[in-house]
Amino acid sequence: MEEGILSRANARLDAWGAMMPYDKDNRYHRWVRTLAITVASLIIFLLVWWNLALLVGSAAIPLPMQVWDAMIDLFTYGDPVSGMSMWANISISLQRFVAGFLLAMAVAIPMGLLMGYSKTLNEFMTPTLEILRPIAPIAWAPVLLFATGYTWGPVLVVFIGIFFPLLSNTVFGVNKIDRSLVDAARTLGASNLQIFYKVMFPCALPYIMNGVRIGSGIGWMCIVASELYASYGGGIGFFVGIQASIGYWPNVFVGIAIIAVLGILTTGLFDYIHKVITRRMGME
Amino acid sequence: MSDQNIHIDRLSKVFRRDDKETVVIRDFTLDIKQGELVSIVGPSGCGKTTILRLIAGLEQATSGEVRIGDKVCSGPGPDRGMVFQDFALFPWRNVRKNVEFGMEVSGLPKEERAARAKKYIEIVGLEKFAESRIYELSGGMKQRVGIARALVTNPDVILMDEPFGALDAQTRNIMQAGLIRILDKTDQTIVFVTHSVDEAIFISDRIVILSKRPAVIKEIVEIPWPRPRDRSDPEFTALRKRILKELESENVMD
Repeated sequence: MEEGILSRANARLDAWGAMMPYDKDNRYHRWVRTLAITVASLIIFLLVWWNLALLVGSAAIPLPMQVWDAMIDLFTYGDPVSGMSMWANISISLQRFVAGFLLAMAVAIPMGLLMGYSKTLNEFMTPTLEILRPIAPIAWAPVLLFATGYTWGPVLVVFIGIFFPLLSNTVFGVNKIDRSLVDAARTLGASNLQIFYKVMFPCALPYIMNGVRIGSGIGWMCIVASELYASYGGGIGFFVGIQASIGYWPNVFVGIAIIAVLGILTTGLFDYIHKVITRRMGME
Repeated sequence: MSDQNIHIDRLSKVFRRDDKETVVIRDFTLDIKQGELVSIVGPSGCGKTTILRLIAGLEQATSGEVRIGDKVCSGPGPDRGMVFQDFALFPWRNVRKNVEFGMEVSGLPKEERAARAKKYIEIVGLEKFAESRIYELSGGMKQRVGIARALVTNPDVILMDEPFGALDAQTRNIMQAGLIRILDKTDQTIVFVTHSVDEAIFISDRIVILSKRPAVIKEIVEIPWPRPRDRSDPEFTALRKRILKELESENVMD
C-alpha cells in the first residue's frame, strides 16, 4: 500500500516535471527552486506550530495569527505595560549589543595578536583564560547587573560572550601566519611594528573575522538572556520578560520573533563581511 | 660605492638542544665579487638553505660574520634581498603592491614607488599583470613577482633559495633563461642555492660544492663560458657529470 502511495506521488511529480523541466544550469530555475523550498519550509513550520499549539492547549503557546495580531498592535501602539515603543526596545538592545561587541573587539583582537606574537604572554594568560572560558557568559548576568547597573550589565555580558571566541580565533590566526611571509618582510627591511600591522594583521584578519562571526551569534544570545534579568531599562529581552510575567503570551512570541529576525540579520551581515574579506585576502 | 663585494668570513652554525650539539655549517668562507652569480650546491639536507638564511640575517650565526664592503651585517636588512622557494608573496596585495612593499616600508614617496615598481615589473615581463591578484598567477609568474620584489630595492646581493624548485621542468628552463636576461640588464650580485647541478652550470659564474653535514666547502668551480650556455655542449655535460659524481660520493652512507 505504501508503495502505491509513493509511486502515485512519483508519477504526479514526473507529470509536473514534464510541464516545466528543471534546468540546474539556469540561474532563474535555481533561484525559483531555492525560493520554493524556503517558502515550503516556512509554511510547514507554521503548520507544525499551529498544530502543536492546539495540541498543548496552553495560553503560553498562542496560535500564529494571535501573534500576528499582537505584533501589529505592538508596532502601532507600543508596549502597553512599559509604554515604550517596540522600536525603542529594539534600539536599546542593539545599542548594548554594539557596545559590547566593540568593547570585545577592542580588547580581544590586540590581546590575541600579542598572545600569538609572544609565547611567554600566551603561557602567562592561558591558565586564567582556561578557568574563565567554560563559564557560560549568562552566569555573570546577575552579578554584573547588580555591580554595574542595567546599562553596563548586559553590555558586559555581551562582551564576555564575544570575547572568548574572538580571542581564540585571533590567536589561532596569528599562529597560522606563514613564517616565510614574515621572513620576506624582514628581508625587505620592515620593522617589527611594520611586520605587525602590514603582515601579521592582514594574515590573521580572515581568522579574526571568523571569530567576529561566531562571537556575534553568541553575543546576540547573551544580550537577550541578560536583559531577561533586568527589572527596568528596556530592551527586547526585558520586553519578553515583563510580558511573560503578566501572561501576555502573544506579546512574548512577538519578542521572540524579533530576536530571531535580528539574529538572522546580524549573522547574515557578518557572514557576508567574512566572505568578502576572505576573498580579498586571496584565501579562497 | 667603492667595494660592494660580499665577504663571508668563517661562518659557522651549531644547533644545540639540551646537551646535544649539531654542527650544521663549519667555517664557511667565501668572497663574492659585485655582479657575480654564485651557486651553492650540495647533498640534500647539508645546510645550503641555512647558509643563505645566515647571510640574510634571518638566523643568527654561532660564529663568523658577513660583510658587504666594510659594513658588518647583523640581522636582516634591505641590503640583502631574498627570493623564496615558496614565493612568499603577500596574497592580499596585487602584483604591483607586492613589488612596492620594500619601498613602502622604507618610506619612499608614492610616485617614486610606482615608477620603480613599473620598471621592474616590466623587466620580469609582467606589465600586463601589474594589477592582478597573486592567486590569479601561475607558479612561474609568481616567482617573477618574487624576483621583481627583490630587485626593486636595489640590494647589494639577492639571495635565492631554490627559487625555481617548485616549478615544473619547462617553466624552470624558461625562468633560468629569464634570470640570465635580467642579469644582463642589472649587474646584480646573486647567491643562488639549488639542488640542480644543471641549473647551477647553466646560470652561474662560480659553483660552490658543499660536503654533507657539517657542511664545509669541498670545491669551487669557475665557469668561464659566456651566457646563454648550451646544455648539450660536451664541455657542459662533462662538467655536470663530474659535479654529480662528486655530490654522489657525499651521499654515500657511512
